[in-house]
Amino acid sequence: MFNKKKSSIFRFKFSNVFILTFFLFFLYFIYLDNLKKDVSSKAYITNQGDNTVSVIDLNALEKVETINVGIAPLGITILQNKKLVFIGNVGTDDISVIDAVSDKLINTISLGTAPLSLSSNSNETEVYVTDWFQNNVLTISVEQMKVINSLKVGKTPSGITFNKKHQYHVITNRDENTVEIYNKNYKLVKKIETGNHPFGVYSNDDFIYVANVYDDSVSVINLVDWSNYSFLVGAHPYNVRVQNEIAYVTNAVDDTISIFDLHSKEIINTIDTGETPENLDLNSKLNLLINTNWGSDSISIFDLQNFQLIQEIKTGAQSRSFGDFILH
Amino acid sequence: MKKIIFGLIAIMFSLSAFSHGPTPQKVQESVTIAASPQKTWDELKNYDEFKKIMKVRSFKDNLMKAKYELIEKDVPFSDYNAQIRVKKGANENESIVQWTARFYRTYKLNPPIPEGQDDATAVAAVKKIVGPGLEGFKKYMESQ
Repeated sequence: MFNKKKSSIFRFKFSNVFILTFFLFFLYFIYLDNLKKDVSSKAYITNQGDNTVSVIDLNALEKVETINVGIAPLGITILQNKKLVFIGNVGTDDISVIDAVSDKLINTISLGTAPLSLSSNSNETEVYVTDWFQNNVLTISVEQMKVINSLKVGKTPSGITFNKKHQYHVITNRDENTVEIYNKNYKLVKKIETGNHPFGVYSNDDFIYVANVYDDSVSVINLVDWSNYSFLVGAHPYNVRVQNEIAYVTNAVDDTISIFDLHSKEIINTIDTGETPENLDLNSKLNLLINTNWGSDSISIFDLQNFQLIQEIKTGAQSRSFGDFILH
Repeated sequence: MKKIIFGLIAIMFSLSAFSHGPTPQKVQESVTIAASPQKTWDELKNYDEFKKIMKVRSFKDNLMKAKYELIEKDVPFSDYNAQIRVKKGANENESIVQWTARFYRTYKLNPPIPEGQDDATAVAAVKKIVGPGLEGFKKYMESQ
C-alpha cells in the first residue's frame, strides 16, 4: 500500500518534471527564434575619403557605428555565417577584419599591394583579393588570417566574385577588356572578351554579369554554353546585381540605377540616386536595394517592390563599398 | 650623415608614393549667389564660360543639376567628370552653386609615380578650374 502510494507520487512528479522540461525547451526555442529575428541586417560602407567604415542598421535605417580602418578603404566582402567583414585598404595595402557582432576591428592582414576587390568561397574558409598593381589574385586563409596563395591573372584585375553553383572564381580585367573564369583549383576555365573597361561583376546560377564602364553596357555570359550578349544602360555603369531575373545597374555619371528585365530584355525603370552612385547590394529579407553615393557621401535605400526611395543616409567621405556589403 | 638624411627622404618619398592606390580624387566647392535658385539655374544653363571648358552631358531641370565632361585633353589629370548643382540658399533670393569634380591622376601604373603625374598635381590643377570658375559665375550673376 505504502509502496504503491510512493510510486504514484513519484510517477506524478516525474511527469511534472517532464512537462516542465518540455515547456522550458519550448520557451527556449521561441526565444532562440526571436533572437534570430532581432539580429538586424546591416550595411558596411567603406568611406575612401576618411578611412572609415560606416555601419548602417537596415531595420532601424540609421548609422549605428563608425569604424576606423586602414587608408583609402574600397573593397569589401562579408562572411555571412562567420559574421566577419573583410575590407581592402588601397592606401595602406592591407585588409581590415571587422567582427560583425561587436562591430570592432579585430585583425589587420598586410598584403604589400593594393587590394581592389574581395570575395569568399561557399564555406567561408578563404577570402580572395584582386591585386591591382601586380595582376594577381591572392588567397587569404580565414583561419590563419594570412595570404596562402597567389595566382597570376590578366591586367588590372578589378572585380571578383565566386559562383557557388559551379565553384568558379570570376575576375574582370579592366585594362584588357576580359573576364576570366577559374575553377576552385585555380585552373583557367575560360577567358572571354567583354565590353570596354569591365569593372563590377556579379554571378549566380549559370550566369555572369559584367558592367562595362566605357561602353555604357552590361555583358551577360552563360557559364554552360558560353554564349553571351550585352544590353545598354546609362553613362558609366559601375556595378550590377541580379535578383529574380531583374538586373540592377549603377550609372556613376548619370546618378541613376537602370533596372533591366532579363526575360523581356528591356529597361523597365530608371531611378535617381545620390551623386556618383558606385556600388549596390540587395537585401531580400527586408526587400531593399541599397547603393553607395561617392559624390554625396551617402547611401540611398530603395523599396524593391515599387523602386521608391525610402531614405538617403549620410555615411562618410567618398562612400564606395566595392563588393557585397550587406550582412543579411 | 648627408647620405643617411637623403636615404631617409628617399624612403619617405617611396612610402608616400606607395600610399596612393587607384583612388578617384574629389574637388567640391560652392559659392552663394544673391539670386533665386530658378534664376541661377536658368542662367547657368546658358553660361558660356563653363561651356568653353566643359562639354555638357546633361541638364536635369527637376534636380537643377548639370553634368559635364572636359573638352581639353592636355591636362595633368584624367577621367574627369563634373556636376554643378543649384541648391536653395538661406532665403528665396539666395542660391548655392556647388561644383563637384571626380577625376584620377594621369599615372595609373605601379608606383613610384613620376613627378607631375601624382594625385596632388591632379587635385591642384582641378582646383584652379573649379574655384575661379565659380567666382566668375558669381560675378556674372551679381553684375546683372
